Amino acid sequence: MGLPSGTFNQSYAQDMAIFRTKTHWVMLIAFLIFLFTCPLYAGDRILTVMTTIGITIISVLGLSILTGYCNQISIGHAGFMAVGAYTSGILTATLGWSFWAALPCAGLMAGLVGILFGLPSLKIKGFYLIMATIAAHFIIIWFILQFQNLTGGGNGLSVPRPEIGGFVLKSKASYFYLVMIIACLGTFFAKNLVRTRAGRAFIAIRDNDLAAEVMGVNLWAYKLLAFFIGCVYAGVAGSLLVHYVAFATVDQFPFMNSVWYLGMLIVGGMGSTIGVIFGAVSLKLLDELVTIVGPILSAAVAPQAAASLSLIMRGLVIIIFLIFEPRGLAHRWQMVKAYYRLWPFSH
Amino acid sequence: MTKIKWLFIASLIIVLLALPLFAACPSTTSPGAQATLYVGGCFALTGAYAEDMAASLAGYEDYIAWVNENKILAPWYPDKTIPDNVTFEVLWRDDELNVDKVLSIYEELKGKGLLVERVSGSPQALALMDLMYDDRIGATSAAAGPYLLTPPKTIFTNYPIYTDDCAAFADWFMENWTEDRAPRFSFLTADNAMGTSVVTDEMKAYLEGIGYVIVGEQYVPLVPTAPPTTQLLWLKDNGVDACFGVMINPGSQPTVKEMNNLGMGPGQAYEITFGCATPSHIQVFISAMGADGDGFCVAGGYASWDDPGNGMTFANDLLAANRPDKVGAMHIMYVDGIVEAMTQVEAMRLAMANTGKSADQLTSADVLEQGFYMIKNLDTGGITGSPLTYGPDDVEGADEARIQQIQGGKIADMGTYPCRHIYKK
Repeated sequence: MGLPSGTFNQSYAQDMAIFRTKTHWVMLIAFLIFLFTCPLYAGDRILTVMTTIGITIISVLGLSILTGYCNQISIGHAGFMAVGAYTSGILTATLGWSFWAALPCAGLMAGLVGILFGLPSLKIKGFYLIMATIAAHFIIIWFILQFQNLTGGGNGLSVPRPEIGGFVLKSKASYFYLVMIIACLGTFFAKNLVRTRAGRAFIAIRDNDLAAEVMGVNLWAYKLLAFFIGCVYAGVAGSLLVHYVAFATVDQFPFMNSVWYLGMLIVGGMGSTIGVIFGAVSLKLLDELVTIVGPILSAAVAPQAAASLSLIMRGLVIIIFLIFEPRGLAHRWQMVKAYYRLWPFSH
Repeated sequence: MTKIKWLFIASLIIVLLALPLFAACPSTTSPGAQATLYVGGCFALTGAYAEDMAASLAGYEDYIAWVNENKILAPWYPDKTIPDNVTFEVLWRDDELNVDKVLSIYEELKGKGLLVERVSGSPQALALMDLMYDDRIGATSAAAGPYLLTPPKTIFTNYPIYTDDCAAFADWFMENWTEDRAPRFSFLTADNAMGTSVVTDEMKAYLEGIGYVIVGEQYVPLVPTAPPTTQLLWLKDNGVDACFGVMINPGSQPTVKEMNNLGMGPGQAYEITFGCATPSHIQVFISAMGADGDGFCVAGGYASWDDPGNGMTFANDLLAANRPDKVGAMHIMYVDGIVEAMTQVEAMRLAMANTGKSADQLTSADVLEQGFYMIKNLDTGGITGSPLTYGPDDVEGADEARIQQIQGGKIADMGTYPCRHIYKK
């Protein structure tokens, strides 16, 4: 990572630090102040959009670890979210557990189910693994629909909102804080994870699994670990989503969501934590833009001109990124930072 | 470098100061001044119901334009007048059947002053139920799953709940059953929340109670990508006489085509009667299938286009005036749009009358409590199975489900059957 002129690393700790200059710290603190003061000046709509973006970021962080870092392409991520969602829903609604106890259980259960469906990754990869994870999604949804007495089947499951000492996190602002805190912690953990032994093993597997094995990386353990961690994130995101709307239904986890999560990784940049945030924010904001533009377009062109506009736009954006910026917005961000660092002598 | 840092900090401060502009600032107008009330909500113009929703939206727009011009609720309601200073406007967004999206759309439309809502499908209804109850917002719905009957109840349907459609079909079939043995019944339904919502213990208990033998259930995708041969042969192998499900036309049409291929149906080698709840529109079905759809039934549907009643005459007139190219070719959900918009307008009209408030003083709670809950026997001109009645414990507007069957390539009205209120939770 480039640093301003005159900044040198004098120890391993400095070399490994995420935030290395005062400017970095100031920007981080300014961002956190901005983020956590949002409920003071943003309306319900903006808080809703930001909360759903936060939940998406948590989920896509998991996919980033699994796919971006370890190259285990999964299109079953929405299914793993459903596992977390229903675990948390059943524990709180049926067994009366606290949300705070149910949330880690949701992550854990999704992680364990992830390990189960990650087992094929030991034998297959690439296209074949994609097919296996697609199957995982539908098997999970099938199980949820079958256990009607437990999950409510097609009619869904009403779940309570989280409480802290009798205070119900019912308002937009309170839930926004909950999601953002978890999203920040999740981002920090993900950023750190890739600098650990496990993270380096993931990257080694991604770059060349045969070479990684020859070097002594235990493919079996690390691939399953990637599935576990990735799915824990998905489970936590799923739990947060259903407690947000106080209802769990399989329709909240459509298969296409998994595809769009991969799209977010492409737009943001594979193998980059900041890329996850860029990807999730940009595609979600694109959705919002299209939603607003839709009725205007319908009025101006034809009543059905707005139909499928969002899908078209998302598809186009992904195609454009794949062709013109395959390393995603994260790479653009690096270029902007490099330009800023060298300005006015950027040549 | 220092200049850039200061520039950055200054930009940050400007952004922080500008952010309060995002907050919604409600406008106030003096009583008697021209006021706009919004109707509409979410329409899933993307996805499996796109065609239905586009037609429904067209119904909303044409009806609201008519109301703004005539200042009455409907041609047969000259006494239900709209104040001259009130204008209605349709506010809508495409939610793509996406739960994430519906949440932000809901907040956006609420912020814009929409005092009512509209939900386009089951996932949206489930996601918004609690929120709308908390915000005291009433909504009309194009989905009629039994979950709407689970408290809190602020989502109102104009056609019967799917389980009541199923009961009406079963009542009609049993009334016409002539053999000595008990008829054998199976569910044949879409494999999603909407489709599986009829397969409940209460529904099975009712069917067994009136003399059916329940054989089991079979599921087909919402939009099948291959003929449901296996499912249909299972029905045949198990001697099923009647089957029912909740499907949309892209599901029910291929199912009936495959039934014909397999020689299954009324008057065919294997006698079986297949019925669907309202989202399978018989008017759409017949234009696509003609006499090939003979024997297919729909429960809880709207009147046919050639119905001489006030409602369908009004719908045809609106269509002729606004979309002449669509006369005879419009999707039947156009009349859903008319009925939903009429319900929303009536709720706001009643709320103004009951609270004595002017349009700009109305709140969503007024519209819910003094509007929606006060709608009693709202005559839809025969579009729906019965006039609509709502209340805090009554979100199912119609009390009777219309049974229609395709006979000789035409829609035959088989009468209306009472809603049995099967689902209780």
